[in-house]
Amino acid sequence: MNEFVEAKVDFKWQEPKKTYDVIIIGGGGHGLAAAYFLATRHGITDVAVLERKYIGGGNSGRNTTVIRANYGIPESVRFYKRSVDLYFQLEEETDRWIMHKQKGLVWLAHSEAHVRQEKARAELNTALGAETSYVTPSEIKEICPQIDITGSGQWPVLGGSYHPAGSTARHDRVNWALAEGAMKRGAHIHQRTEVQDLIIENNQIKGVVTNHGKMYANKVLCAVGGHVTSIGDMAGLRLPIRTHPLQAYVTNHYAQSFGPIISSTSLYFYISQTARGEILLGAEIDKQPSYSYRSGYHFLQTCSFRAMTMFPFLRDLRINRQWGGVCDMSADYSPIMSKTEIDGFYITSGWGTWGFKAIPASGESMAALIATDETPDLIAPFSLDRFKRDRTMADRGSAGTH
Amino acid sequence: MRLIVDGRPIPFEPDDSLLVAMLRNGIHPTGGGCLGPDGDEPHCLTTVDGVSYIRASQIKARPGMIVTTNPIEGYPPLPEDDRQRGAKLVQHHHCDVLVIGQGESGQAEAAAARAADKTVITVDVQNGQEAIGIYPGILVVVRTDDAMLHIHPHEVVVATGAAEILPVCPGNELKGLYTGRMVAQLHGKGFDLGRIVHVGTAPDGVESTAAVGELLRFEPKGVSPVETQNLTSPRSEKTQNLASLPSKKTQNLASLQGDVGAVIMLENGVEVRHECDTVALGLGLIPRNRLYRMGRDWNVRVVGEAARKSDIPPCPKTGTLCPCSSVTVDDMQAVWDRGFHEMELVKRATLAGTGPCQGVACLPHIRAFLQDRGKKLQPPFTARPLARQQTIGEIAAGAYHFSTPRTALDAEHRQLGAQMERISGWWRPWNYGDVAAEYWAVREAVGIGDVSTLGKLIVTGADATEALERVYPTKVATLRPGRSRYVLMLNEAGYIMDDGLISCVSPTHYILSTSSSGVNGFERWLRDWFDTWQLDVRLMNITQTLGAISVSGPFATDLLARAGFEQPLRFMRHREGTVASVNCRVYRLSFTGEIGYELHHPADQSAHLWRELMLLGRDLGIKPFGIEAQSNLRLDKGHIIVGQDTDYDSTPRRVHHEWAVKLEKPYFLGQRAVKRTNKIPLDRQLIGLTMETDGDAPGEGAVILHGDDIAGYVTSTAYSRVLGKAVMLGWAKLVDGALPTDFTINGRPATRTDVPFYDKEGNRARA
Repeated sequence: MNEFVEAKVDFKWQEPKKTYDVIIIGGGGHGLAAAYFLATRHGITDVAVLERKYIGGGNSGRNTTVIRANYGIPESVRFYKRSVDLYFQLEEETDRWIMHKQKGLVWLAHSEAHVRQEKARAELNTALGAETSYVTPSEIKEICPQIDITGSGQWPVLGGSYHPAGSTARHDRVNWALAEGAMKRGAHIHQRTEVQDLIIENNQIKGVVTNHGKMYANKVLCAVGGHVTSIGDMAGLRLPIRTHPLQAYVTNHYAQSFGPIISSTSLYFYISQTARGEILLGAEIDKQPSYSYRSGYHFLQTCSFRAMTMFPFLRDLRINRQWGGVCDMSADYSPIMSKTEIDGFYITSGWGTWGFKAIPASGESMAALIATDETPDLIAPFSLDRFKRDRTMADRGSAGTH
Repeated sequence: MRLIVDGRPIPFEPDDSLLVAMLRNGIHPTGGGCLGPDGDEPHCLTTVDGVSYIRASQIKARPGMIVTTNPIEGYPPLPEDDRQRGAKLVQHHHCDVLVIGQGESGQAEAAAARAADKTVITVDVQNGQEAIGIYPGILVVVRTDDAMLHIHPHEVVVATGAAEILPVCPGNELKGLYTGRMVAQLHGKGFDLGRIVHVGTAPDGVESTAAVGELLRFEPKGVSPVETQNLTSPRSEKTQNLASLPSKKTQNLASLQGDVGAVIMLENGVEVRHECDTVALGLGLIPRNRLYRMGRDWNVRVVGEAARKSDIPPCPKTGTLCPCSSVTVDDMQAVWDRGFHEMELVKRATLAGTGPCQGVACLPHIRAFLQDRGKKLQPPFTARPLARQQTIGEIAAGAYHFSTPRTALDAEHRQLGAQMERISGWWRPWNYGDVAAEYWAVREAVGIGDVSTLGKLIVTGADATEALERVYPTKVATLRPGRSRYVLMLNEAGYIMDDGLISCVSPTHYILSTSSSGVNGFERWLRDWFDTWQLDVRLMNITQTLGAISVSGPFATDLLARAGFEQPLRFMRHREGTVASVNCRVYRLSFTGEIGYELHHPADQSAHLWRELMLLGRDLGIKPFGIEAQSNLRLDKGHIIVGQDTDYDSTPRRVHHEWAVKLEKPYFLGQRAVKRTNKIPLDRQLIGLTMETDGDAPGEGAVILHGDDIAGYVTSTAYSRVLGKAVMLGWAKLVDGALPTDFTINGRPATRTDVPFYDKEGNRARA
């Protein structure tokens, strides 16, 4: 008996049409969310989401599902807080179980310099509205009894910052709840449909060329992860994006007993326990840009070792599987949600290692942008032309690993 | 010989696997379900000596082993912290050909490769060698009891054979169900298996009765046919939560446990009941080709049974299909009916195939199920490591922490009572117990600090000037021998990556310094560009070779004179010289705002030089200063620390460093971007701030308000002892194109103040 069998989501697949009001390229969380919010908030349902493989099969189904809002610039905190809030209500709104769970998130400091950084983070995040507090080693031990606060005698914890709103949700469930919500209001989702070119006339988007032929729409949203620069190329746009692999792994299932999400930037790993009881471990992006989804042993080996430094109990857990995803890193490490130079062609990208947590707010905002052609205030700072306008949004302190 | 299962000692025979030992004593590792000899199926999982999810068929029974059968409901608990288990070793092996699997085809491949004079390594799970993955390289990682083998072959041959298909029908969780191979193994071990009925292919060398037709279900012993009909009725709709399960269903599950008593087949449209004690299942084979599929695009071949096409069993109608995640055919149907048709979506919706066996049990049945409804056979799931599960501890074998390096003065610092901290990738003295005294020594007498961690690079060659001219936004060609200049390093976007010093020895010989944490990145950056430009330059990173001591304070020049360095050096000059009998390159510069020298010298002389300076400066009031004091001293001067005061998108203009950028140069990295963005009105800048306080200062990260609006936040902060107020650097937004003057931080007024805060003319440093 498995309580995790999806019990409610009901997809209604449709035959493709020739013409839509809106075409969304990419059936990941961001594309599906845009379709969902177009349907639910703007009554726009003549929409097709085109997915190269199956929905949620890219980074939306590969990420480590951390939801948080503790960023270091007001624009980001405001945006991610909106997303955190939408996540809290998504289960009720869609009447679908997305396994949303508030866990609290701790970033560990292992040196005086990092203690200062985490204190600064707590102060700044809290002032900007994302409650974060500085915590002592004994408080961390209370939050997470399994931690070896001495770091195996090598990497002692001197303090940390604690963000109670830190949560997780099941990535697939989020994707499906949004997909179903859009579909049952009339939106189409076409899987195994790969966009091979864009149709642009007089600087106005007219549609897309797919492996199943042409489809027409005067509004097209690029919500692609990974190969976003290739789609940008089709529109003649050079995007300020580099794509890097990111890897993660899970153990087998164990009884629930690891409550929070713990992250060490000095030791480059973070850890949580999934709803099913797997221990989930991740690290930093690979330094070398690549589109590769392939798993590497070096990551598995070193991440395991570093995590054991703080969590010696991990030693005897058996690893179930590892996998990779790819992260689109923008030049200032902040996302891009924007109109483009091509009329009717919109983009949501640059989701780096923080795309999952942004899904609802990005979907809501992009839907509003597409529906009204007016950029909502919430995402105005994240426009694509900010790089040209020198209005970049770097936030070194928060561009962590997840 | 005995081992302990669930607290009970059980006897076993030599050469028994743990599974065979348990079966000898009537114990099924998971209470029921079809067992095989090769560990493909999940029913053989046990907890052995505290490690859960061990395949009982894959380890030898050992005396004293402590075994716990897996709980039927729920999962094993997270283990306790166990540091007793020693770390495994890593062994590296290189060969022409690695053959994984030593069955018939594997042996033939190995023999053929040897005959062709190739070096060959063979591994086989039967010998306790488990290949867990094929990784880029090619690297094949193999686990043995003694070590983790990292094998680097030119070619891999996967000869891992095929797994037997498990039954999916009601009653498939009963005891007494074995694959044909398992029956043969148990028979060979002398087990009395009672009356054996086989379904599909007969087991090798064992007498059994054939049950022909379509497999309908297994029935437990001692249950009448009438009763079982109720048990096998289609399951009612599922509920979300285990707690809310109707008790009837739990009863059904429970009563389906026990020993198998009969196999029910559909033969020519009629149900036929075959009474039995043991069922041998020969339902077909699926290739064990996960390793091969992991190594796609590489020099990896698959041979023998592992290369066969998968048998696809009849479409399953009812029963548990994925034992790991307890997914039934009804579950599959339920998600299928709601539009989950893609293999990956079905997997994610039911979680079938995501458990410890990674789909060996369920995959052929899911494919059959989807083919039946979709009329198309979908490919198997993506093959991901690990092909054989290992513990995190085993996987971590061979990994280590990069040791945080210590400078040659580490012992001196400790002796002086320093609090050592990891800072910028080094162990460095945070302070020596009295920050105020360290601070005042530099301001009023002389202090010495260990700056050995600064990045130090030598660039030589005919094109050295040209190469650095392209790298730095400063003019390099005008820098005469013996002179130094502060430099920014910009990336192509015109953002600051690091800062440092360039010193000219000759037009073909430069010495560069960088921040302590920036040197490795900068070295890579330089090498990339030098290579791209194809210039005649050589680069050497001598960071670890040279020690560096900063001598700073009004008496710094005196101290050097006492140490034998008598001819004074002018500001931003450098030359070789002897200090306390140590050959140094002496740089005159200032980070603290006072007269400052850096003595770069062979690291093995560091301790001697340090002690001599301490001794010679004793009556001058010399003190060593740590990072904390240094940070306060530099903040008085408004000097930025890249990374702390800058962000990913800090242009020179944003941090008031336009003076370090010569836009009129023909070219430098980032020039185009800087020229472009310079034409755009600024949005924010790093500013200096002062606040009247009683000896305290706001914390880093404190929010800077202008009126009620957030202007930015504090990046560096300290109470300036010499100025008697708090001094800060921080980001502030421009308002209507201008920087405001008055701000509020933590409810207290702060004033924008031009840097340097202290000694604005810089007379002290140049004295």
